[in-house]
Amino acid sequence: MARWGMVIDLDRCTACGACVIACKAENNIPFVGPEESARGHTINWMDLIPGEEHEEGSSAMPRPCLHCDDPPCTKVCPVYATYSTPEGIVAQIFARCIGCRFCMAACPYTVKSFNWFDYRQDGLLGAARNPDVSTRPAGVVEKCTFCHHRLQRARERARAEKRPFRAEEYLPACAETCPSEAIFFGDLADPNSRVARLRRSPRARALLPELGTKPKVVYLAREERHEID
Amino acid sequence: MRSTEALGPDVCLLRPIEETGRGFYITAGILLLGVLWGVLAYGSQLSRGLGVTGLNQPVSWGFYVTNFVFFIGISHAGTLISAILRMAQAEWRRPITRMAEVITVLVLFIGAGNILLDLGRPDRALNVLSYGRYQSPLLWDATSISAYLTASLLYLYLPLIPDIAILRDHSTRHHFLYATLALGWAGTERQIRVLNRAIAVMAVLVIPVAISVHTVVSFVFSMTLQPGWHSTIFGPYFVVGAIFSGIAALIIFMVIFRRAYRLENYLKPIHFQYLGFLLLTMSFLWFYFTFAEYITAYYGSVPEEMKVFWAKFTGDYALFFWSMAICNFAVPMTLLGIPRFRTITGILIASISVCVGMWLERFIIIVPTLSHPRLPLEPGSYLPSPVEWGLMVGCFSLFGLLYMFFSKIFPIISIWEIREGREVSLREVEDRVRSYLPGEQGEDIAAEGVPR
Amino acid sequence: MKERAQTPGGVRAAQLAILVLIWIFILGIISWIVGLLRLSLQLGDIPSASIGISLVAIPVFLLLLGVANYVFWGLRSAGSGEATSAPAEAERRHER
Repeated sequence: MARWGMVIDLDRCTACGACVIACKAENNIPFVGPEESARGHTINWMDLIPGEEHEEGSSAMPRPCLHCDDPPCTKVCPVYATYSTPEGIVAQIFARCIGCRFCMAACPYTVKSFNWFDYRQDGLLGAARNPDVSTRPAGVVEKCTFCHHRLQRARERARAEKRPFRAEEYLPACAETCPSEAIFFGDLADPNSRVARLRRSPRARALLPELGTKPKVVYLAREERHEID
Repeated sequence: MRSTEALGPDVCLLRPIEETGRGFYITAGILLLGVLWGVLAYGSQLSRGLGVTGLNQPVSWGFYVTNFVFFIGISHAGTLISAILRMAQAEWRRPITRMAEVITVLVLFIGAGNILLDLGRPDRALNVLSYGRYQSPLLWDATSISAYLTASLLYLYLPLIPDIAILRDHSTRHHFLYATLALGWAGTERQIRVLNRAIAVMAVLVIPVAISVHTVVSFVFSMTLQPGWHSTIFGPYFVVGAIFSGIAALIIFMVIFRRAYRLENYLKPIHFQYLGFLLLTMSFLWFYFTFAEYITAYYGSVPEEMKVFWAKFTGDYALFFWSMAICNFAVPMTLLGIPRFRTITGILIASISVCVGMWLERFIIIVPTLSHPRLPLEPGSYLPSPVEWGLMVGCFSLFGLLYMFFSKIFPIISIWEIREGREVSLREVEDRVRSYLPGEQGEDIAAEGVPR
Repeated sequence: MKERAQTPGGVRAAQLAILVLIWIFILGIISWIVGLLRLSLQLGDIPSASIGISLVAIPVFLLLLGVANYVFWGLRSAGSGEATSAPAEAERRHER
């Protein structure tokens, strides 16, 4: 059974924001517009959040959903609309979500976004939609899914070509796009995979580890420069 | 058709049902406008989405959840007065129980309704029935509020039966309704025994159910890991706050009905005095819990907790926090603690202050924590929109309207309990007190009869 | 001495209808709780939470149903006995 995890190397990250845009394009995340953004209604599955200030300037860190092994969000969902798959991806069932926003209140990393209006766009932007990902109506919660649709596609392709599926075939949009190759993704259950090895690096640290959420997205940073609160 | 003389002086309690003055229609009209505002506000929310509110990321809960907790909290009025005082055999509860029980029933509907108002997809609310997960505190809420609603409806109805029978026999209107609901009440000894037994069972049952309700409402917050929420004190804290706000709401409505229906003979200063003492006690108890909560946070100085702490004490929410402290503690302590101020007017002002303060307390619990998330993001902010104000006004108006309608169909003071007090309890209490006192002339104490 | 209250057929039917509704309502809630319990067992989704809550909630609802029935049938049958007024009865009891 695979266990999908991510490692983000903050010493390579230039905060260019390509991962944010790639995620938006891949997952049909609507652009809510400047007025709605000013009201705090932006939807960012992959977000670039401020790090600490230091002499060379402020840093930023890409923060997808951390796909915790012990997620506080899945515990509180009343209708099983957010849950952990057996391979460790914390999934979101948009069609069942009743929009109570309990998971949003419970997530200590504030990764979840909400569709405050119906932001789906037709026209030019509508034509650019990714057919593999459903669009979300007003009133439901959404968040990063590790581009789970790409996993399904890769598995289906392997099955169609009658060959075993290889973990390297599955890469979320952010990992694929990053120009500095700062985002690594792979199967943590394979001890020789790059993500598994990088997790054992002395530079590896988790976000808010004291909460016991056991996030599967881990950051690499040299101690002195990137002190993450 | 019996003559009303059999009712004796209590016939005046039927007057609000028989006659309706202009004041009723004017008040009902105003409240109806409030409900209309709420309906229009919700309509705009249904058609466009929750974006019409001031909610955002990170403050994704605001007025609706505050009102949910607030209204469910007020429901403890009925339980305290009716059940606990009945079990404590406190005779002064008699004119108050009906009003308290009605508050509980109405307020539970409106409180639960606020959760529906808060849903992003209310059309999918039935998913809770099909796919509910009992690990989620919201399901605990759904179950315990259902239990409490059923129990308090029953607990309102049972002592109402003899009053309905009086209406069946004396009133000209709604005869079918009264005859049906009276369940053939004729006041026979066996019927009285059945009813008293059932009420006694309900009085015992409804107390743990009520406590469980507000405890699980608090668990919605304390079961998360958020700073300011993840506290073990929340269960008892919310229950104390609920009883506190419940008594205050009850006092307000007692004053209103006393004035509107001229019930000065039934709701006497002594009733307000006793409730005022209870309110004062709850004020101290509330202060004790609040103090314990904040001093623990302050002493521990955990960084995320302190962000929320200072936001409340000196930051964006300082105005609300200190208003809450004044409304919940300083004002009640002064008006209720100093005998000169403990008049009905003083007690009313204290009660209004407590209701405002307890609403602020719910707000202070919910919003500052959400606006200071753990990750080093900018603190969020929250400004309620006209839609949220409209729905809040609509809820309060609906509550008032339903309460007024109830008082026009059923007696707002329990005639049966008053008569029981006048005709039966005087003797019972005398016997009870006599049993506490030492026996006379060397009588065997064990032989002293226990009062019926 | 009070006369016995009339109970025409329409009223009795309405009373029974109310009792039936109470049965449907409470049995409905109980079947909902049991349904969620079965769902959590089937999905292996923290069944202990469902079991714990069912153990508490279902008896409470059954008790409420019991009280409602006790009052309904108790008042029905006791009403067909001698009809006296409560204060008169209490007076007689006290004098004995």
